[in-house]
Amino acid sequence: MRIDSNVSPVWGAVAAAAALFVLLAARPLFPAVGCDLNDPDRDVKRLFPESTGYKTVYVSIDRRGGRELLRRIEERLGDPFKGLYETIDVPYTMYHVLKDGNIIGYIHGVNQKGRYGGLQVFLAVDPEGTVRGFYIQKLTSRQASLLRDAAFGRQFAGLNLGDFFAYDVRTGSAPAGSRAAGITNPASEAGDDFRAILRAVKKNLILIDEFLLGNKFLPPSAAPGGPLPSPRAD
Amino acid sequence: MAKKISIYEVAAKNLLRKKTRSALTVLGIGLSAWVLLSLLGFNRGYEAALNKDIDNLGFQVLVTAKGCPYEAATLMLKGGTGLRYLDESVERDIKKNPEVEETTPMLMQAVFDPNKGESGGISAYLGVDPSTFPGMKAYLEFRQGAWFTDPEGYEAVLGYEAAELEQREVGDLLLIPEKDIEFKVVGVLARSGTQDDGTIFVPIRTLQREFGQEGRVTAMGVKVDKEADIVALENKLYDLPDVQVVSMAQVKQTIMGLVSTAKVMVLSIALIAILIAMLGVVNTILMSVIERTQEIGIIKSMGAMPGDVFRMIWTETIVLCLLGGALGVGLSLALAEGTDVLIRSLLPYTPTGGLIVVDLGLALLTLAVILGVGLVSGVYPAWRAARVRPLESIRSEGD
Repeated sequence: MRIDSNVSPVWGAVAAAAALFVLLAARPLFPAVGCDLNDPDRDVKRLFPESTGYKTVYVSIDRRGGRELLRRIEERLGDPFKGLYETIDVPYTMYHVLKDGNIIGYIHGVNQKGRYGGLQVFLAVDPEGTVRGFYIQKLTSRQASLLRDAAFGRQFAGLNLGDFFAYDVRTGSAPAGSRAAGITNPASEAGDDFRAILRAVKKNLILIDEFLLGNKFLPPSAAPGGPLPSPRAD
Repeated sequence: MAKKISIYEVAAKNLLRKKTRSALTVLGIGLSAWVLLSLLGFNRGYEAALNKDIDNLGFQVLVTAKGCPYEAATLMLKGGTGLRYLDESVERDIKKNPEVEETTPMLMQAVFDPNKGESGGISAYLGVDPSTFPGMKAYLEFRQGAWFTDPEGYEAVLGYEAAELEQREVGDLLLIPEKDIEFKVVGVLARSGTQDDGTIFVPIRTLQREFGQEGRVTAMGVKVDKEADIVALENKLYDLPDVQVVSMAQVKQTIMGLVSTAKVMVLSIALIAILIAMLGVVNTILMSVIERTQEIGIIKSMGAMPGDVFRMIWTETIVLCLLGGALGVGLSLALAEGTDVLIRSLLPYTPTGGLIVVDLGLALLTLAVILGVGLVSGVYPAWRAARVRPLESIRSEGD
């Protein structure tokens, strides 16, 4: 029997070409940008003076619940997510604040589009989801000093997500007499940034509720598909 | 009258008699020709693309005042201080050098923003000349919008990451806090993987005016002719008073080294492709000669001269090579785009632009090489066939 040696280079080349085409694969993906404390050691201690440590946990909507979760968060917010900072894969940095190994609260920040630049709004909440600290890490505005003043931040202390249920982030209005309606703008010229801050606060509280509090503030009517799986560290 | 036997007819009939073998040989030669032409096209395209990338680097030399931080990152580390200035007239002196193709003035300014973080931060702005800067940074693409429409206006173009951080889109406003100046965002760049991603560009004239720096720049970008000796130019620039020269000569040398390495690799692979083709041809023709020893003997006994037999076998070789070469050229032209994508996915770094550049000249060169290889490969089988002794070959049939 004779083997025709012409066959092997031909099929070898074909097989190699086929194998190489299979390698036409992934393109590099660029991660979405999250919102971290600039100096966590200092900032955690400032927001929770009694803390003895903290743990950082990263979560994202796409890993926790995907499109369904995104839809529910948008529904709770009353406004769709938009822009570079509100994509489904944004990594949210949750700081679990500890004292002697026990969780005494959480710190979480979100990005929000402001009139002249990006805002970074952090909330410090106790384990029940009640705000105990408010911090604007970044804000570009002519009235920035007023909006970053401690007096403005103190208006948020003691509030929780329930107080923002009826706050309409699109119009910036809340029912008269509600606690959200009681938050006053210290700089009337900075109405856009004031509304942006309140939207950031409501979004922040919703994400904390979804990711850390097991949807404590989620009304049953707002969850047509039932609650999503309880939070876990990613 | 008896018809005279044509050796070309016999050659053609022989190729058609073993259709599968002939087809596989043509395919083998075709694949080799494809590889060869693609590699030659890659050699040409890769070099052209790299040259284009070098052009796209924009300025290969940066002239700044002595001690001036020339990158935004360095400026930030220095707390936004330490800027030193050159007089704009330095551009005239730089342009006097024949190696200089183009120059572009730049002015970097930094302001303290008390509302960045707990204790404030620095924001930096780069003033650029919209008539020269975009041409030097041809690799910059826009995600939204375009460069400034007014060279003295209050417009800004943001790098991709700067836009992400500031959440700006075209039409949004940008505020320089310390100066209380508003800029309108007219463009957002696509991600480039360079420090431009984090840069906020504004028209240089506007920045000079608002920061009281008329007639001054912090850096002058210099685009050098591709063939020019950058090191020699650097030495000349150092003769200017109080300047420091930041050069990308090393980058250029590295890239050119890469081109040389690529050429050697490509030629080596091309050589292997030619050898494979050669072996295929020799194998096919030799096999055919061995199988047809008796037939060749009969042809010779009927009056064919050794030269006739040699030409007959050589003709078969030429036909196979021409068909295979044509197939290879066709494959190469048809698959050039796919091959480009394939190479890009395999190489860790590929320049922008077409990697495979195949033209008529290269196609003809490939055909000529394949034909030449075929002719050489056909010599031995043809010589062997020509030496067949008619009586011995006919007698061997009965053995």
